[in-house]
Amino acid sequence: MNEILEKITKCVEFGKVDKTSPFPPDLKGQDGADELTKAALEQGIDADTILKQALVAGMDRVGQKFSEKKIFIPQMLMAAKAMNAAIEHLKPYFQSGAIQHKGEIILATVKGDLHDIGKNLVKMAIEGSGWKVIDLGVDVSVQKIMAALEEHPEAAVGLSALLTTTMQNMQEIVTEIKNQKPDNKILIGGAPVNDNFRNKIGADFYSPDPQGAVKFLNEQVN
Amino acid sequence: MTGKELIKEAFALKEPERIPWIPFVGCHGGNLIKKKADEYLKSSDLMIRGLSKAIELYNPDGIPVAFDLQIEAEALGCKLQWADKNPPAVISHVLSEKSISDLKIPSQKDARIPVVLEVATTIRKNYPDIALYGLITGPFTLALHLLGTDIFLKMYESPDEINELLEFTKEVAKAMACYYIDAGCDVIAVVDPMTSQIDTGSFETFISEPETEVFELIRSKNVLSSFFVCGHAQHNIELMCACKPDNVSIDENIPLEYVRDIALKNKISFGGNMKLTVVLLMGSVDDVYQEVIECLDRGGKKGYILAPGCDLPMNTPQENLMAVKNLLHDPYQQDVVRTLEKQENVRELLNMKDYGITDKVIVDVITLDSESCAPCQYMVEAVKQIAPHFEGIVEWREHAIKEMDSVTFMNSLMVKNIPTICIDGKITFVSKIPPKNELINAIQKRINEKLRLKISSKRARIYVIGKSQKEFEQIKEHINLAIKETGRELEVKYTTDKEMQLSFGVSVTPAIVIADYKLKSQGEIPKVEIIREWIKELD
Repeated sequence: MNEILEKITKCVEFGKVDKTSPFPPDLKGQDGADELTKAALEQGIDADTILKQALVAGMDRVGQKFSEKKIFIPQMLMAAKAMNAAIEHLKPYFQSGAIQHKGEIILATVKGDLHDIGKNLVKMAIEGSGWKVIDLGVDVSVQKIMAALEEHPEAAVGLSALLTTTMQNMQEIVTEIKNQKPDNKILIGGAPVNDNFRNKIGADFYSPDPQGAVKFLNEQVN
Repeated sequence: MTGKELIKEAFALKEPERIPWIPFVGCHGGNLIKKKADEYLKSSDLMIRGLSKAIELYNPDGIPVAFDLQIEAEALGCKLQWADKNPPAVISHVLSEKSISDLKIPSQKDARIPVVLEVATTIRKNYPDIALYGLITGPFTLALHLLGTDIFLKMYESPDEINELLEFTKEVAKAMACYYIDAGCDVIAVVDPMTSQIDTGSFETFISEPETEVFELIRSKNVLSSFFVCGHAQHNIELMCACKPDNVSIDENIPLEYVRDIALKNKISFGGNMKLTVVLLMGSVDDVYQEVIECLDRGGKKGYILAPGCDLPMNTPQENLMAVKNLLHDPYQQDVVRTLEKQENVRELLNMKDYGITDKVIVDVITLDSESCAPCQYMVEAVKQIAPHFEGIVEWREHAIKEMDSVTFMNSLMVKNIPTICIDGKITFVSKIPPKNELINAIQKRINEKLRLKISSKRARIYVIGKSQKEFEQIKEHINLAIKETGRELEVKYTTDKEMQLSFGVSVTPAIVIADYKLKSQGEIPKVEIIREWIKELD
């Protein structure tokens, strides 16, 4: 692989945002995802290649390590920050159509729940894998999700709940979506959620980590 | 032994006479007195009423004063968003406007702290035998409330700032622990769920020291302590134990055996793990029974405290939590659940359609085993004693479910509880040993019913459908002869009515239709599945 692409991958993997980032120590003072992505574009590497070969590869490694519990939220967020710094430079190419999304997914933390770390991690991983994410934020009602589905009829739906007390709202939302849109896939996640619960409420997929969600979505389009 | 004593025994790693249990009643207490969560968590009066109701219903050995991890954050200036059915959520992080040095450790009079302290004092006074748990927000979770999710990035980008913040939140935790101890709490639980989200390295770097200091303070006050965590925290359990709490409490995401082994190795007790949503919130009483047994068997007798993994959802059905209490206090029922679990693969059902239509009345006693289970023994004795009163009319037998055949029989009769008496296949006495007279009356009632049924069965009727009286002649002869031979009293109706012919779907005459008017039930509303079986018989 091109040397600069490999460097970008490493920056995403270890959360090296830009030259000033103190972490990781062995890359101190060196260019980060921000500078390297800019440089790669200037070298004439096309945006799609940077996304697929550098960023997606980096996120894959991060996701893998998160699944294996080798890294946790702090490291994921650092990786996300590096990823976002790179994506900033690629945005114009998404807008121009030079990069195509694999599909769309609506993400939301369910009604009554204001926690967004988990959802944001999933968002980052899914976006990093080339999907368009419609992020409805936290404390989201079923009406809001249905409205988003009207606008994006093919989209999958990803729901997050961190509180045991809001899992019931998740159940109500899943039931309502399945009643009205039985074909749209629903993915669920969050600390208290598990596959047993998914089965009980009739959602399509549960993953304990973002990487699982990415794999599931990619399987739907491949 | 009181609940408090049981909990102290479990904490001391002795084997208590019964495993103690703690329902984590937070906003669920509001549901018990039909109040919304926001109203409930702001009022000491309502919380006292809700907790008193929970104590009355669930007979717990320990109970938390409140389960609300936003109390300290609110007192420190974070804004909360209140909800009807959930605890409030922090929506503004005070350190986005202020610096750490501007924050002061909350006093007993700040925000809702006096509310929960009043609850603690009153519940302490009213229920001296229950272990009262004061739940405080752990240093890391409080730090997250104060700073927001930036905390995760700053652990890398400015670790000194995070250390300073945790130093402050540790002092808040210590102050809160002292307030609850002064109000009479027996156990202080440091609830720090967000620690499940960080790696062991970060835990050791940032968390171990402040947590250890909080537990040391609690111990110096001669009060017990517990470290609560939820989520996938398996990787940090060893480090949590190293902070030297007296107990660790976890949710269903961590295998109980794993926590048990590490906790016992570190000479501390452990608890939690009951499935909160899938079983307690959404499951049936039977699901709850199985879950309780599973937790008891996996937790073992030493050091385990039965509890859900976290705050009970507001609408957790009362009957499910009462089922936990009932089973925990009834070793016989525990044996029943264990026995049935072992034989759960027995799914074959007998066809009971014709059960109990003989001339005799059959009394079945379904037991665990009358030789080893006292309630079962008394129930069998009761039946044995009265059977001779009915001289040959009543036949009884025991079905001990330690035998496979008996389990099949029990399932076929849809019996759910042990011991149960069925009369002619109908569940009549459940778990309760009937007084002699009640049992005699129940059997007599069935004998009367049978008599009535016998009389009613005479009402069967044969329709002979023909075009003219002439067509009936030979048929009439045959029917009369058959009736005579069988000795049955039957009404025979000969008809040339065209409408009736059509309604029976008869196209060619002469035709015979037999209408068997069986009395199936009276004076009761049969269940759908029973009626469904009757309808199937018609096929």
